[in-house]
Amino acid sequence: MTSACLRETVPAEVQILLVGIGGQGIQLIGKTLALAATTEGKHAMLAADYGGEMRGGPSNASVVIGAAPLRSLPILPSAGAAIVANHKFTGPVPERLRQGGLLLVNSSIVDGNAGRGTHRVVEVPATALAAELKAPQSAGFVLLGAFNRLTGLVADEQLVAAMTSLLPPYRAQHAATNAEALAVGAAAVAEQEVLS
Amino acid sequence: MNVAAPSVPQPQPQLQLLEGATAIAESAILAGCRFFAGYPMSPFTPLLEHMSRALPAAGGVCINVESEIEGVNMALGAGATGARAATGSCGQGIALMQEAVAEAALNETPMVVFNMARNQQDYFQSTRGGGWGDYRTITLAPKDVPEAVEHTQLLFHLSQLHRAPTVLYGDPLLAQTRVGVHLRKIDFGELPPQDWALDGTRSGTGKSRQIWTWAMGKATDPGLGPDGHWQQIAAKFDRIAETEQRSESRYAEDCDTLVVAFGSAAKFVEYVVEELRDEGHRIGWFRPITLWPFPGPALAAATRGVRRVLVFELNAGQMIDDVRQYADDRDAIRFIGGVSIHESGLSFGPLLDAPEIRARILAASAADSPTRSRP
Amino acid sequence: MTRELELVPTDRPPGGDARKVADFRPSLMLGEHSLCPGCGEPVALRILLETLQDLGIVQRTIGVVGHGCYGSFVRIMDVDVLQCLHGRAPSCATGIKRMRPDTAVFTMQGDGDMVNEGLQEVIHTAARGENVTAILLNNGVFGDTGGQQTATTVLGQRTKTSIEGRDAAQHGHPIPLADIVASLDGVAYVARGAVGTAGSVARTKRMIRTAFESQLAGEGFSLVEILTMCPTGWFVGAPQGAEYMAESMEQVYPLGDLRPRVSGTS
Repeated sequence: MTSACLRETVPAEVQILLVGIGGQGIQLIGKTLALAATTEGKHAMLAADYGGEMRGGPSNASVVIGAAPLRSLPILPSAGAAIVANHKFTGPVPERLRQGGLLLVNSSIVDGNAGRGTHRVVEVPATALAAELKAPQSAGFVLLGAFNRLTGLVADEQLVAAMTSLLPPYRAQHAATNAEALAVGAAAVAEQEVLS
Repeated sequence: MNVAAPSVPQPQPQLQLLEGATAIAESAILAGCRFFAGYPMSPFTPLLEHMSRALPAAGGVCINVESEIEGVNMALGAGATGARAATGSCGQGIALMQEAVAEAALNETPMVVFNMARNQQDYFQSTRGGGWGDYRTITLAPKDVPEAVEHTQLLFHLSQLHRAPTVLYGDPLLAQTRVGVHLRKIDFGELPPQDWALDGTRSGTGKSRQIWTWAMGKATDPGLGPDGHWQQIAAKFDRIAETEQRSESRYAEDCDTLVVAFGSAAKFVEYVVEELRDEGHRIGWFRPITLWPFPGPALAAATRGVRRVLVFELNAGQMIDDVRQYADDRDAIRFIGGVSIHESGLSFGPLLDAPEIRARILAASAADSPTRSRP
Repeated sequence: MTRELELVPTDRPPGGDARKVADFRPSLMLGEHSLCPGCGEPVALRILLETLQDLGIVQRTIGVVGHGCYGSFVRIMDVDVLQCLHGRAPSCATGIKRMRPDTAVFTMQGDGDMVNEGLQEVIHTAARGENVTAILLNNGVFGDTGGQQTATTVLGQRTKTSIEGRDAAQHGHPIPLADIVASLDGVAYVARGAVGTAGSVARTKRMIRTAFESQLAGEGFSLVEILTMCPTGWFVGAPQGAEYMAESMEQVYPLGDLRPRVSGTS
């Protein structure tokens, strides 16, 4: 693959990559963020790339948020931020995250050192935090809560509302713990600067 | 009609985050679609699934058929009653439907066909058709989900206006990407009365209605017959070809290099061209919005004085045939697309990516570039 | 008991012009047919059109006609009609009926149309229980294209593509379409008639009436298979068609109600 263009050609749009494996809720947190932004009247886009396996295969998504009809592409040539939930398939992140971009990693299983120096690495032990909540499936929301605290993209209540509305009936019982996970993630980075 | 880009910022409407297939289905329902029949086939399947939930709630009928041929013929029957009917599929399924699409064109039955192409840009299939006779299908190729919402409703209108089947050309990105869209009913103007629609009321009057490709009429009231009728249909499509062309372009009047692309690929090309333009390249883009009728005169005007006309499409070269027909200088044409299929077979491959497109444009733009150009 | 009878006088020629049999056609027939002498299909058309008039449903009837010799009936039947692709009539009829549920919708298809090309369509339409009436004109040949074998050609029958007579080892077995459809849930009424004798014509007309009554009552799919003579396709003379049919097709395809109507009367 040729070197990605690292220039931010559409500065008004926030471009985010999410990578993980099937079962970590990557698609759900992507939808949550996009839906929260849409409810707030912003323009949002979510594109997904995942394989056929229900669990354990790669699960990637990209989210774009902007104030006007989006020019960003459904396959992002580059992004300003990334959430990495799993070390197994880093997907497009190494090449496509712009220099200085936010790299939020699930430090329970992902080594953040690889990105240091090039990106602004923030480590959140999401798997461990979710386990403490006795809700291991909510690790993705720990990361999302942290991400939103760092970037201030949407109101926290909107994330909770979007998450609740997206849960299918057979997962509705997780709404409360997912909301807790969002809060725990935000608290984990409370000391950090809000990154623009 | 040519539309210059880009659009002026609009006041913020109420947006809904919808998967493309859902947005298209909801837009069809807003357009008055009340009959839908389809066979599951990726990436058309989510369109069928959403219709199966939403269309009955809107007072319509959605049938998950046992074959694509069944589906298109059901849509034809529904369309023959004057109802707004649709079907769809992708590549292989569309191929099965060809006879019925030609039939609808030749017996003048409106319907909309959603061609959600799967892993390459099936330009030939959408514009040349595989049916028999002199017919064409008005085909719109949106570049993103918001445009697909508009095109869907426009296609139902054009189908009724011209009494002919029309096609929405889509792909996996259009079907699967979720975008905040403004769903609203669009008014495209008056339509002629549907006195041709079958409802049984003229049975037994001596003036019963007839929908027949051969248009022989009745023993007591002969019709044009196949010769006269098909000549009339051919003349109708000639008129449509004059009046329904649509395209968009930018920087054509001030460029050395013009990149031509359609559908989702055109959105990628637009993005890359803006990037290159910022870096000082004298480059522009041209996008046919109607694949048929192909906006030939607009392309001819856009290519005047241009040194390089780069055609980017995800196939072995299909739209390039129409570019060759109309470009001001055929020697300026270079093909920078190609076959590129995802390893799963179900989507586009690595060629549909801004860095790759950028590299191909730059390579072709270099002097004496060896990039392939077909004779 | 005696009655005063008004007898036609025999000591002078009848008053008025002679009238042809065709003059007695139903008013829904706009002209004469152009099919072979001895063909059974026009008889089937007549009893269908008479039934529509008898039931008083003419002005809400829509027909869907397939491809075959009977295709020319589109010109002479005074009914709102869609002439459709070979085999697809049940699908088109589905679309029509779903959008116009208050109409009476019928298909008219030959055996080549329904049992060869359109086998899938009729089976699925029947299983879905669509409220339409399918009329199968079964003569065991593709008549319009010159008399080739179809899925209903009976063993021993000579056709252009089985000139020594259909042989199971070489050409496989015929398909009793009405029996298969009769076995499906979703089907309200299936019958097989014939038009070779005055009696069978009358019985078949009653079957058609029952089928439409069933449709109008919303009971599901109805099919009337009608064995029709094709002397040309059968290599027999026009007057021999009915007898040939009795000795061949009627031996293989029994006549009668194959799936009687459950409610109402047959």
